[in-house]
Amino acid sequence: MIEYDTEERRMILKFVYYGPALSGKTTNLLRLHDLLEKEGRGDLMVLDTKDDRTIFFDLLPFFLVAPSGLKIKVKVYTVPGQVQHDATRKTVLQRADGIAFVADSRRTETKNNAESFANLERNLSIVGIDIDRLPLVIQYNKRDLPGILPEEEIRRAWGPTGFPVILSSALEGWGVVETFRALAERAYDALDRRYDFAGAHGLTRESFAERLVRRSG
Amino acid sequence: MPTDSGGRHRIVYCVGEERPLRDLLPASEAAALLAAAARAGLHGVRIVDPRGKDLWGSGDDVPPAAEGSAARPILIEGEPAGGVVLPAGAAGGETREALLGLLADTLTAMAHNNLKRMLTTETHTEVVNRSYEEILETNRNLAASEQRYRELAGTLEIKVRERTEELSRAMARLVQQEKMASVGQLAAGVAHEINNPLAFVTSNLRTLKKYTDRFLDIIARYQRVFEQGGVAQQDRDDLRKHRESLRVDAISEDAGDLLRQTLEGTERVRKIVADLKGFSHVDEEGEAPADLNREIDRTLSVMTHEIPAGAGIAREFSPLPVIPCLPGAFNQMFLGLLRNAFQARQEGLRMTIRTGVSGDRIRIAFADNGPGVPADLRSRIFEPFFTTREVGKGKGLGLTVAYDIVTAHGGTIDVEDTPGGGATFVLQLPIRRGSHDQIR
Repeated sequence: MIEYDTEERRMILKFVYYGPALSGKTTNLLRLHDLLEKEGRGDLMVLDTKDDRTIFFDLLPFFLVAPSGLKIKVKVYTVPGQVQHDATRKTVLQRADGIAFVADSRRTETKNNAESFANLERNLSIVGIDIDRLPLVIQYNKRDLPGILPEEEIRRAWGPTGFPVILSSALEGWGVVETFRALAERAYDALDRRYDFAGAHGLTRESFAERLVRRSG
Repeated sequence: MPTDSGGRHRIVYCVGEERPLRDLLPASEAAALLAAAARAGLHGVRIVDPRGKDLWGSGDDVPPAAEGSAARPILIEGEPAGGVVLPAGAAGGETREALLGLLADTLTAMAHNNLKRMLTTETHTEVVNRSYEEILETNRNLAASEQRYRELAGTLEIKVRERTEELSRAMARLVQQEKMASVGQLAAGVAHEINNPLAFVTSNLRTLKKYTDRFLDIIARYQRVFEQGGVAQQDRDDLRKHRESLRVDAISEDAGDLLRQTLEGTERVRKIVADLKGFSHVDEEGEAPADLNREIDRTLSVMTHEIPAGAGIAREFSPLPVIPCLPGAFNQMFLGLLRNAFQARQEGLRMTIRTGVSGDRIRIAFADNGPGVPADLRSRIFEPFFTTREVGKGKGLGLTVAYDIVTAHGGTIDVEDTPGGGATFVLQLPIRRGSHDQIR
């Protein structure tokens, strides 16, 4: 949580899209920007890139107000995937309330996926976030490409961990909203334990997720 | 406040912190824009914060905005973060509305760009600071590691030196053992070779002596008969002349001596060979009970040719108990000590070998009247390959080997001054061995 100002009645949450370089994190956010209603969210802010690759981060903000009047802002960030930007990843990761791990479905990227996930675990520990309690969803992106891992293999690998796994193609535009929704629901569960959204603020899980993923058109 | 690796509190820059409009629209940038807007027709336009409080004005002195004044929001990250308002009672109109909208959009774009710029700069700075701190930390760790390695290297040198000395000693002992082993084998081989022909030489000589005695006997008989008569005078004269020319009388006397001495010579050869075999103990392996007095004598007897002419060797032996030891090794040691003395002084060498029992130890002292050992060299003389002799005249192993043999037995060897000049080497050996130390 970035901030919770009880006086101003304002809560700012942070979601982070993590993963190896070029797995489709920025593309995910671009799709969310296109697919979701303009009302209740800001524009996608893409900081300077180098050859179209993220150096710092991308930001897509969402806002909603709970029945109680509590203003909730959800800031969705991507991190740079390239290995040399580890310090930036740590900086962006601080105080995150939920992570979507975007993996590249191609078999050739298996090692990169694994290394990126290990990097995530390491960095969470460094910035003081308990990985066992952090809401985490897994997205296997680029399902439109050849040479991808078959679904059973993915489910077999990730099944025991208990994390939701969503298949997607950000390029083609499917699986992206589902991922975001799954992340939102998981984050709600974790935060509700502490802040009693349902009781104190009249905000149900359904309602929270719905408000964030209102589709446009 | 979180602390960094140095324990210092640091303000952690958190990506995502909200920023008020005030920070995103510096007065300098806003003022110019507001002034232009005012000139274009928006007199008294102002920028307000979300609560309606004035932030910047166009410079015109006008009353503050009131409820219902024309206003447009300025958006930050999609949310209203303030707005532009016209003063109360200002004229409306489409143009004005449009201008106000344009102003709001421009300020939104301006704030957005400033925000991007600030986020970029701050993130970059944070990353640089973090990286710098990480480098400092790595540097600290490396310095500590280097320190540890340096300490290790220091002690390593010492350890290596100690070990090298150990190994030199062991090597020297092995070299000597090898030499002695091969000498022993040679001795045994030679002894064996010599013994065979020696045996039949001796035997033949004995036989020859018997024959000679018989020849002499019959010649004497013939002589007596010849002298008594029965042979013509001419023949007697011829025979007498021939006897003289053959020098038979002298030969008769000499023959006996010759054979006797020759037999004595073969006996000596036999004894030398036996001593040599006995000295190298080549037939025995491992420990055997030994009388050290006897071993010293054995050693002396195989060294007779090395004893300088005119040297005097006094043996002051007390009876010694028989002790289990490696006799071959002990003979090696005695040989080395004696040889040192013989080489220390040639002319007028006086040696005293004193043996005795002192308490639970056997004490053996080899005292010579040579130049002695200077005090500053006393600790070094037992070092492998240490020698004060010129090249080719000694490898410097003799005392090393002696030291190793004595210590392996649990004893000690020391060097003292001989009263009146010279060196005395004192061996002390336990009669009953406690712990049998290996060579260090």
